[in-house]
Amino acid sequence: MEVKDFSNEITEDQKNRNKIRCQYCNCLILNSASAHYTDIVFSLPLVHQKRSKSIDDLDTEEFNQYWMIEDMYTFENIGFSNTVGDYKYLICADCEMGPFGYHDLKDKKCYLALKRVKYEN
Amino acid sequence: MSKKTYDLLFKLLLIGDSGVGKTCILFRFSDDAFTSTFISTIGIDFKIKTVELRGKKIKLQIWDTAGQERFHTITTSYYRGAMGIMLVYDITNEKSFENIIKWLRNIDEHANEDVERMILGNKCDMTDKRVVSKERGENIAREYGIRFMETSAKANINIEKAFSELAEAILDQTAGKENNDNQERVVVDRKNQEKSPAYSRCCTS
Ligand SMILES: Nc1nc2c(ncn2[C@@H]2O[C@H](COP(=O)(O)OP(=O)(O)O)[C@@H](O)[C@H]2O)c(=O)[nH]1
Ligand SMILES: [Mg+2]
Ligand SMILES: [Zn+2]
Repeated sequence: MEVKDFSNEITEDQKNRNKIRCQYCNCLILNSASAHYTDIVFSLPLVHQKRSKSIDDLDTEEFNQYWMIEDMYTFENIGFSNTVGDYKYLICADCEMGPFGYHDLKDKKCYLALKRVKYEN
Repeated sequence: MSKKTYDLLFKLLLIGDSGVGKTCILFRFSDDAFTSTFISTIGIDFKIKTVELRGKKIKLQIWDTAGQERFHTITTSYYRGAMGIMLVYDITNEKSFENIIKWLRNIDEHANEDVERMILGNKCDMTDKRVVSKERGENIAREYGIRFMETSAKANINIEKAFSELAEAILDQTAGKENNDNQERVVVDRKNQEKSPAYSRCCTS
């Protein structure tokens, strides 16, 4: 797995240094220092799916670097998909692109893939 | 422990007959044949949007029905905790307008009694197909003492405005009974505030 170097984005106390935005429309998703770096491994569906794909048959991509958000109300703007298994996927509240991450219904936390969002103040 | 970075949290619902445009009001995705994004396959449950009103940072959590309205099975569990309700009809559909009365009764039965309501006459872009005049919408709203607006989810008319007005009405109401309940929802931390326009669409396209 290719590992992009995000060290500039992670502060000493493992938080996001910059604001997190939608890479498609720049919508503000999270303020700085509101998520916690974690190296959990999880596969997210691809942003673009073939028209014929059903929910049980989505193409996915694996990520191993996530931002963990304890409380969903920490988000400035975010959309939640319908439930799939134990998860809801997180999409942009404005342009609805995504998923950028997932919400785990068991631990109630949210996770955003470092690679699926952009960093800009 | 995570700190709260907002002042208030308002849970809002969309209610009305099937087909009036509730999902489109929440959901920008249009079901044209070319969309092939992930979300068009799975569908959306709710959104969290941050607005700033009178210097307060407010999180709006907006829910769509999962189509239960088709079977008239919207019950207490869907209404639980709702502080604001958008009651939607379609200006090109007489029946959906007449059913507003039914929905009002349903809200009375199942929702909190102090829930803020607002009536939306949606699809106002379809002028040639209009069967419900704006005046009739205004009249029913006046009769029940509720706010009213005509909207178009398709042409993006008054959508943002409707949500910020509803939020403002709830804010007025909460301000009226401050220091009573709602302690849990109230401010803890007001750092990191950012001016983000109410319900802005930040896409440039
Ligand atoms: N012209 C027009 N069509 C709309 C508008 N809002 C929704 N629609 C269409 O009305 C139909 C039903 O919309 P939907 O959001 O699924 O209704 P719901 O059942 O209330 O969730 C869809 O075909 C939409 O494209 C609008 O503002 N203008
Ligand atoms: Mg719907
Ligand atoms: Zn976006």
